[in-house]
Amino acid sequence: MKKILTAALAVTIALMAQPILAHGFTQPKHGGIVSMSGETLFELVMKPKTLELYVIDDDDPVVASGMSAKLTVNIGGKLQNIMLKPAAGNRFDGPGIKAPAGTKIAVLVIDKKSQAHLGTTFTIK
Amino acid sequence: MRSLKLLIAATALSGIITAPLNAHAVWFAQRAKQTALIYGVGADDLDAVKRFALIEKMTGYDANYQPIKATPRIAGPIVLVDTDQQPTLLSVVFFNGIWSRVGTGEFEKKGRDEMPEATLSEKNYKYSVAIMGPLDKPVPALADQALQIVPVGTIPTMLGEKLTYKVLYHGAPAAGAKVINDLVNDPDAKPVETAADGTVTLVVRNQGLNVIQAVFNGPTDDPKRYDHIENTATLAFVLAHAPE
Repeated sequence: MKKILTAALAVTIALMAQPILAHGFTQPKHGGIVSMSGETLFELVMKPKTLELYVIDDDDPVVASGMSAKLTVNIGGKLQNIMLKPAAGNRFDGPGIKAPAGTKIAVLVIDKKSQAHLGTTFTIK
Repeated sequence: MRSLKLLIAATALSGIITAPLNAHAVWFAQRAKQTALIYGVGADDLDAVKRFALIEKMTGYDANYQPIKATPRIAGPIVLVDTDQQPTLLSVVFFNGIWSRVGTGEFEKKGRDEMPEATLSEKNYKYSVAIMGPLDKPVPALADQALQIVPVGTIPTMLGEKLTYKVLYHGAPAAGAKVINDLVNDPDAKPVETAADGTVTLVVRNQGLNVIQAVFNGPTDDPKRYDHIENTATLAFVLAHAPE
């Protein structure tokens, strides 16, 4: 009985230690890097020849087909805008880019219907 | 009789401490995950839609501080900002009209030509710059910001740390500009004046939105209508909260 009480107390303390406002997804689901903007999760997956952007808004995957997505990245000292193509689910696809440590990649996703803008900036580490 | 005197004194005092015209400012802030243009003071988020026509110019800037298109848009009771790429800076020029008053009376939206008995007539411009993304280089003087607050050095990541600001008037240091550290949460704070080099050092107050305000009067360009041009500038930036 004493062991059960001790275990229950430990669980209670562990639960209380969680930040009171913590909620929602904050971790990558596709092996990429994550940047949070409020309750919106942006995950960027850099591959040699392609890149993928996944967007989850308040725990709900966005519908990429209803949105536009644009990256702004410093390539060779010049800022370039790269339009991404809506793909399946909440994924947007684009060409691979070289992004050494310190590169900043700004992302803007626009809902075509509501005109809501969701944005963030990744800093490559 | 004593009560009457107290009442008169209180009424006079309330007239003095009523938010003066120059207390109002414009700044950018997040509303429902969108970037909005706010007109107000303190917690008063006033009617920016009604004042939409007063927005003379809005500009975004990329990470190299090259201008990009930024468009104000009425969305129900608020004014949102549309850009077609993620901006590093946003700026706005807002013409708040010409106002005059007699003594400590109420301001009326008239010039001295319409109100010859006025003891004060002023033209009001409001400017604002928001830092929307990480900075790779110092914020430059922006051509359309007659009055501008720029951070000097790196913006700290935590509240409670000091940050120096420089107030620029047409790109040059503005000595004696009156600066308030936190327009949203402490709008009645006693302003601090900038030094001869236009700088002032303040403690960053908020682990969230910080809106710094500076007020600086410039000379009139139409003395028959107003005595001076009152310029009000804000600088808005956000310190990120801890990861959830």
